[in-house]
Amino acid sequence: MERVWFLVAVVACSGQALAVDFSREILPILSNKCFVCHGPDTKKKDLVRLDSFAGATRDLGGYAAINPKQPGESEILARLHDTEEPMPPKDAEKQLTAAERELLTQWVKEGGKYAKHWAFVPPKKHRPDWTGNAIDALIGRQLKAKGTDFAPVADKPTLARRAALVLTGLPPEPALLKQFLADKQPGAYERLVDALLASPHYGEHQARYWLDAVRYGDTHGLHLDNKRAIYPYRDWVVRAFNRNQPLDQFLIWQLAGDMLPEPTLEQQVATGFVRMNPTTAEGGAIPAEFQAKNNFDRVETVGTALLGMSLVCARCHTHKYDPIPQVEYYQMMAFFNSTAEPSMDGNRYEYGPTVKAPADVAAWARWEALKKKGEAGAKELAEFQKTFKPTLVAKELPKPRETKLLERGEYNLPKGEPLQPGVFAVMGEFPKDAPRNRLGLAQWLTARGHPLVSRVLVNRIWQRTFGEGLVRTPADFGLQGEQPTHPVLLDWLAVDLQDHDWNLKAMLKQMVMSRTFQQSSARRAQVNDPENRLWARGPSFRLDAESLRDVALWSSGLLESAMGGEGVKPYQPAGLWKALMHPGSNTKNYVADKDARQYRRSLYVYWKRTSPHPMMTLFDAPNRESSCVRRSRTSTPTQSLALLNERQRVEMGRQFGQRLLQNAKDDAERLNLLFELVASRAPNAAERAACMGLFNNLKARYAANEKDAQAFLSVGDSPRDEKLNAAEHAAWAQVVITVLASDIAMWVY
Amino acid sequence: MNEAMMNGFSRESQLMMTRRQLFSRSALGLGTAAMAGLMGPEMFGAAKGKAALNGGLHHVAKAKRVIYLFMSGGPSHLDLWDYKPKMQAMYGKDLPKEVRDGQRITGMTSRQKTLPVCPTKYKFTKHENNANGLWVSELLPHTATVAKELCVVHTVFTEAINHDPAITYIQSGSQIPGRPSLGAWLSYGLGSANENLPNYIVMHARTKHAEQSLFGRLWGSGFMPSRHQGVLLRSEGDPVLYLNNPAGVTREDRRAQLDALAALNRAQGERLSDPGALERIQQHEMAYRMQSSVPELMDLSKEPDSTFKLYGEDARTPGTFAACCLNARRLAERGVRNIQIFHRGWDAHGNLAGEHGNQCKDIDQGSAGLIQDLRQRGLLDDTLVVWGGEFGRTPYCQGRLGKDNYGRDHHPRCFSIWMAGGGIKPGITYGRTDDYGYNIADADGNQLKPQPDKHKWTPGTMHIHDLNATILHQLGIDHRRLTYRYQGRDFRLTDVHGHVVKDIIA
Repeated sequence: MERVWFLVAVVACSGQALAVDFSREILPILSNKCFVCHGPDTKKKDLVRLDSFAGATRDLGGYAAINPKQPGESEILARLHDTEEPMPPKDAEKQLTAAERELLTQWVKEGGKYAKHWAFVPPKKHRPDWTGNAIDALIGRQLKAKGTDFAPVADKPTLARRAALVLTGLPPEPALLKQFLADKQPGAYERLVDALLASPHYGEHQARYWLDAVRYGDTHGLHLDNKRAIYPYRDWVVRAFNRNQPLDQFLIWQLAGDMLPEPTLEQQVATGFVRMNPTTAEGGAIPAEFQAKNNFDRVETVGTALLGMSLVCARCHTHKYDPIPQVEYYQMMAFFNSTAEPSMDGNRYEYGPTVKAPADVAAWARWEALKKKGEAGAKELAEFQKTFKPTLVAKELPKPRETKLLERGEYNLPKGEPLQPGVFAVMGEFPKDAPRNRLGLAQWLTARGHPLVSRVLVNRIWQRTFGEGLVRTPADFGLQGEQPTHPVLLDWLAVDLQDHDWNLKAMLKQMVMSRTFQQSSARRAQVNDPENRLWARGPSFRLDAESLRDVALWSSGLLESAMGGEGVKPYQPAGLWKALMHPGSNTKNYVADKDARQYRRSLYVYWKRTSPHPMMTLFDAPNRESSCVRRSRTSTPTQSLALLNERQRVEMGRQFGQRLLQNAKDDAERLNLLFELVASRAPNAAERAACMGLFNNLKARYAANEKDAQAFLSVGDSPRDEKLNAAEHAAWAQVVITVLASDIAMWVY
Repeated sequence: MNEAMMNGFSRESQLMMTRRQLFSRSALGLGTAAMAGLMGPEMFGAAKGKAALNGGLHHVAKAKRVIYLFMSGGPSHLDLWDYKPKMQAMYGKDLPKEVRDGQRITGMTSRQKTLPVCPTKYKFTKHENNANGLWVSELLPHTATVAKELCVVHTVFTEAINHDPAITYIQSGSQIPGRPSLGAWLSYGLGSANENLPNYIVMHARTKHAEQSLFGRLWGSGFMPSRHQGVLLRSEGDPVLYLNNPAGVTREDRRAQLDALAALNRAQGERLSDPGALERIQQHEMAYRMQSSVPELMDLSKEPDSTFKLYGEDARTPGTFAACCLNARRLAERGVRNIQIFHRGWDAHGNLAGEHGNQCKDIDQGSAGLIQDLRQRGLLDDTLVVWGGEFGRTPYCQGRLGKDNYGRDHHPRCFSIWMAGGGIKPGITYGRTDDYGYNIADADGNQLKPQPDKHKWTPGTMHIHDLNATILHQLGIDHRRLTYRYQGRDFRLTDVHGHVVKDIIA
């Protein structure tokens, strides 16, 4: 396919504010309003193509859509302003606004120059004309331009809580909080941040986002949705984050760990990424069909998770908006088409290549310690390895499968010659010496000049820190996506990530140390920016499903610190799985755990893809059947019911109430402790009045009706301290449940 | 305003209410319209769709609500609806090659040496409708009595030949998981007409033959905000998940708790000048109302005996299909606009006689009762009822062919569904299949060539995208214009396909 792009040097100079910026102003209009007929997939030979300068300036018999020599003579201008036969046509679904028409006119009159879409040009660090933190310099610059400045810095308790929730998914430990509040020396906040980054909870929390992106699930996902051997991969991800493995290496291992020289066990386990696609073994399924579908899923996950682009369109036809020809989709697919597992899972726990790996995070550590002992530990090591558990990994067939373009994406309509593995040309060349396999693909993705991967990753790191990305469409950096609110900053961070060895902890530290992050998150009457696109206030957003549960587990003292292993099963209303499942499925009966596993972090909750735990899905967790890089945050009545009535929430309230009664000497102090744990601060007068009002009301009610108190305190398996006064305990439990259901506990702010 | 209307609105320009304006009003007194203006779609809870209720989203709506009776597994059109007497003479003979005409066959029968023609063992009777009459199998005696209300379409077709892809396809427009379900699209497009109940309700009816799986994605919201996912109305435990207060907590206790919660949220909202706090208080209030509206909904004690004559005595047992149908009527009366009942067990590979008999007993009187009940209450005119599965079954036998029992494999090329009410022509049939019920045929019964496909609508046919387009149309929605932007693309339920089958619209 012809793709001639005329690159124009974009001069970043505020003095030229009046010149039209093709990539940021024009291309989005062309893409959204014109490419539907005049785009990369235009089939009619006589139709003008507006996706390239060559196409737009093609001689149409004495005239051209764009006439670069005499721009004023361009046919486009005539059609844009024609009342009889306008473009877009009168009946077109998408019409131009007056402002868009004006911009297009100006652009054509200026010569109609083309430039590559910003996201396909490798990011560059602008020479800093600032001192100090780039984030604050670049955010601050725009605030100044809008006639405002940063909001004041948030108070210390709020800041500690915010940083802890963002980095570890939990509020700060009381000791750490106390130390920070007492630390009046310079660098106190940095010391807090360093402590948080060193917490094992850090890796657990950061892993969660990645597991959404790769659609991690504990079951196959289709038809019987049986159990799948895969959780060692999840544990590997947690460990990789806690050890701060460079992100480029993190990706290479996952895409092609098996192809590295003498791959280590970890490198092999990491390739579980390649095996993460949902699979089926439905009786009538046709293997060739699912070989194709499994691979579509892999290609499209790479698209969403790493390239920040939908590739789905190119499965059936050349992309309508983005310069992705259909054939390149199938060249990308060829990288994945030669893995050794069968196309159907046989409903088996292990299918295709597997390795055996340590059974949980502690076992990984023990294994490493034993290996270090060398000969001395050999016997013990051999014994220990018997406890290893299987996990799916990628392996290559000795002889590659043939890959062809599939017409309209139909598995039974292969077309043309067999394709070699290849990459999307618009995103840069395949490295010269790289092998044409998954390893080469991984090298291409993590190469210095790749325009997308570092931007896409850094945008999501920003998103989980600040609540929204610099690009608000993290799954779409293509022509139809939103432009970054701060393009220079996005690029600066993307390059900075690479400059610092893809160091995630350093990047997060840079972000949370910024003035931008530390601002008060209160809305400002004088700044009209409801979506906080200027970042003129600190982040505020509702916690994700996992954190909502984890915060309650942690503050009630129930949280079990063991990490990893087979998915855990907290209480779940009876019959939810059975109502859906085939009688032959081995996930039709949900059996809740009876022990401390009930109280593990939510990251470890068993993820059945066709029916994840309702406390996850009710609060916007995805089902992990497909890649998700941005969760919605909704507010619904069914959430309210869950917060106030769900068995484990009630149990956590009871345990938390018990903790208050055992650890504080009077009701005022109990409320202080409650607030300290969930809000890192003392309650204000209104909050105190609301809570004590409720407490006194319910204490009297339960004192008069001991049976209700006893019934309420019997919810949940964990034992209770029977010595406590039941009415008081029940009333405190209710207060706790209420506070935990309020924005005070449920939000980052 | 509903959410689809708001999608694409620039919220950037919306003025932020000042703190004073926000908090000087009672938290609950703020109108929902104002709320809609304040919150982006992401923040906006149950979308309020009263505007759409009257006028339709894109055109005048014939139906205000839909009740979809989903028969999961693939009911046999040949044993229920599509009468093929000429097959009797072909009993046991191999299906002619030209009839199969290149159709791919599932992995279950592709290794069979022959594909023996398998006529139905059930007796069909012709029932008067508003056209040339409707042939109905003896398995559906009750449904047959409402023949004058039904539009039976014999020529629905799909490409998928296995359950998981086929049911995902008909319910979400794509064979591969990840898209919003039909119900989620309707929730997004229609909003809610009842502030005390969720706007998309899903029920799972009991069956003796639970031989397929259902998946959360069939009523899930895919890439849309998760509030558009269906809310399960269950017959076991709490009717809505976590509806009931824990032991030892009274309604008064809960009221006190919610008042304290609202005070806490207001305090926090004030601290952060966050108008969203009020929206969340409203969601808690709706939950509180649901705690009385749902039990009231589920309480059948005031239903007269005549109700159970209509739906059958089964309707007294929670979880039966008949009980679900009765619930559906009660939900419709209360303004819920989007109701779906899933009934599993129609996948008759080897024991059709044993299974389909029970399956039909499960659903027959309930569906007929629902139609009659809606009619007598004046609700049928603006309630669209749809009955059908994800594909049909083969006219050739799978496994051993016997006179009394046989099996049928999955069949994508044609299958029968029915629609009733909601502005659909009553008492007609639509489309014709060949003498084997294998291919879609012309008016003379000759196989259509080339095979109809989704790319271009052929009169007399209804691809599953056409079915969904038609359902949306009746609810006032243009399937080409109901879009949701994700990853830079304006997604539609019907992808780039779909045709409103006007022939069946009254």
